[in-house]
Amino acid sequence: MQNRSFRKGLAVFWWLTLMFLYAPLLVVMVFSFNSINTSARWGGFSLRWYERLMHNDVVINAISHTLLLAVISSIIAVILGAMIGYGLYRHRARKLGLLIVLIYLPIVMPDIVFGIADMAFFVQINRLTGLLSPGLATMVIAHVTFQIPFVALIVYSRFVGLDATLFDAAKDLYASPGQRMIHFILPTLKPALLSAFFLSFTLSVDDFVISFFTAGPESATLPIYIWGAIRRGISPEINAIATLMIASVALVAILSLLFNRRRA
Amino acid sequence: MAERSPTAAPGGPFLSVESTTGSDGSAAREASSISLKGIRKEYPGGVVALESVDLDIRAGEFFTLLGPSGCGKTTLLRMLAGLDEPSAGTLSIGGVDVTDTPPHKRSVNTVFQSYALFPHLSVRDNIAFGLKMRGMARAEREQKVVEIAGFIKLGSLVDRRVDQLSGGQRQRIALARALICEPDVLLLDEPLSALDAGLRSQLQVELLRTQKRLGMTFVFVTHDQEEAMVMSDRIAVLNDGIIQQLGTPQEVYERPANLFVARFMGHDNLFPITARAGMTVTTPIGSLETEDHHEGKVALIRPETLELTSPGAPSVEPGKQLNTLMCRVVERFYRGSNVEYRLSHQNDEQHSELIAEISNTGERLFRVGDEVKVEIYPEDVIMLGDDEEGA
Repeated sequence: MQNRSFRKGLAVFWWLTLMFLYAPLLVVMVFSFNSINTSARWGGFSLRWYERLMHNDVVINAISHTLLLAVISSIIAVILGAMIGYGLYRHRARKLGLLIVLIYLPIVMPDIVFGIADMAFFVQINRLTGLLSPGLATMVIAHVTFQIPFVALIVYSRFVGLDATLFDAAKDLYASPGQRMIHFILPTLKPALLSAFFLSFTLSVDDFVISFFTAGPESATLPIYIWGAIRRGISPEINAIATLMIASVALVAILSLLFNRRRA
Repeated sequence: MAERSPTAAPGGPFLSVESTTGSDGSAAREASSISLKGIRKEYPGGVVALESVDLDIRAGEFFTLLGPSGCGKTTLLRMLAGLDEPSAGTLSIGGVDVTDTPPHKRSVNTVFQSYALFPHLSVRDNIAFGLKMRGMARAEREQKVVEIAGFIKLGSLVDRRVDQLSGGQRQRIALARALICEPDVLLLDEPLSALDAGLRSQLQVELLRTQKRLGMTFVFVTHDQEEAMVMSDRIAVLNDGIIQQLGTPQEVYERPANLFVARFMGHDNLFPITARAGMTVTTPIGSLETEDHHEGKVALIRPETLELTSPGAPSVEPGKQLNTLMCRVVERFYRGSNVEYRLSHQNDEQHSELIAEISNTGERLFRVGDEVKVEIYPEDVIMLGDDEEGA
């Protein structure tokens, strides 16, 4: 039957797509456990590359920079982005066309444009004031700028999905503006804020281009370290780092998904 | 209004109603009157939601704002709650000017059309929300929730999650959440419109009993004229931001102030008046005697006032001069307790349709095609003015 063969074709297509997406990751993960120093053949299972990583101070530093940068920038982005999302919602009756575009734009703008612009910007400020020399601070600012749009949109869509009379109900039930924030808006937003935090976190950990242009000599993150190391060839050590990153990003992405789904 | 005997409230003396209820059934609790003077609402862009509205709502009254969607009834209700600000005019509740008082400082609570229960809170916390915002201690709040749950017969509903409730249950929780605050005035924004017919009439009765028992001022918004008539002490019929008529359900139904009110209250027998001589008016169904001294452009004859007999039968009241016309039955709708006839009337070249609603007393019903004699009492021929001349 034609219908059946069509479905079979779809299934094949589905598996091919999955293979393209995940086979390269799988290869990296498998060879991170290879006991010999090549990706050409399998020499048996071993954890030696992970062991070596644990004793490499440069790698440990890069990991801690990455995590620190991700956590700080995500917290700032969630606070600022939530405020933008709330503002967008509160004034949705007005014509916000241009503002919405301005918020979407960083999402579609190539990272390299942002990275170079940020770098030039910080260099200028540094030259004029002596502040913001390349380092963790400049990276945090740069990361916050590309995380904010995502947070704002998550928070905005959470508000839009909400019955607008809930705001009236809170006022009607004697809640002052401060009480409305504490007892209605924040608890209602909680799942969206957590999900926005985890998304920001993964975006930050993922980022190479913007980090590369804004990092200082002492603040290399894991992606920057990998880029440097890879110029000497792909070692099994890199495979081990990549595997750790895949595992941690997958974990956070799953957490983000769970929080987003659990919202009432 | 028929007196309703207060039924005992199980679960505790909520609002101390039982102890203060007078022998006449009215509660001695301080209920608040509402006074609107020159209230006007104009939106940016020039849309006028309310023209200058003057309205006095009495303390302890079940008052209904009735009208089609967009007539301004919800805007008016939101102004009472403080959720909308009037462009002009003053509003006082219980003699105190609250025109500039924000909603969270008004002793007014609202049951919203969508119920607006907080999804992040349990049913119990939803009900206690207003008390918590007012700073009442937890133990006292919980006691109040138990009392109100008994009063509105919520039973085990308070232990459910909000998303586990049906429409009717949500409505009751929303009512409990508003009543527990013991407001001076309770506002209800079409709270029953989302429910199916059976549940709706049951909740109408419950709501009415609750209001009588508390003696609280209720302001109710609806677009359903039957609901308005069943529930209200008085009704204000609104259209285009103007109060068209203010009166008891009986007044509004039996003596509509104008064509709009007549149509909105469901009247169909409306006949334009082409000439008038003394108490005789000329209409498409012939000359009619009336006892209405008002000037009018349209004659209204309510369907239930028509008397139907067989041609040749004696008059229903031989001593009296009745309007008589001959009609033919075009359609018959049997409704059990009453029967609706669609009648056609031929007068010279003019063809008209009349509707008669006859209560089913078990007598022989007319059939489609039968010729019938229609008799109309002069006092049932009512003169209506133009639309815009509101009361």
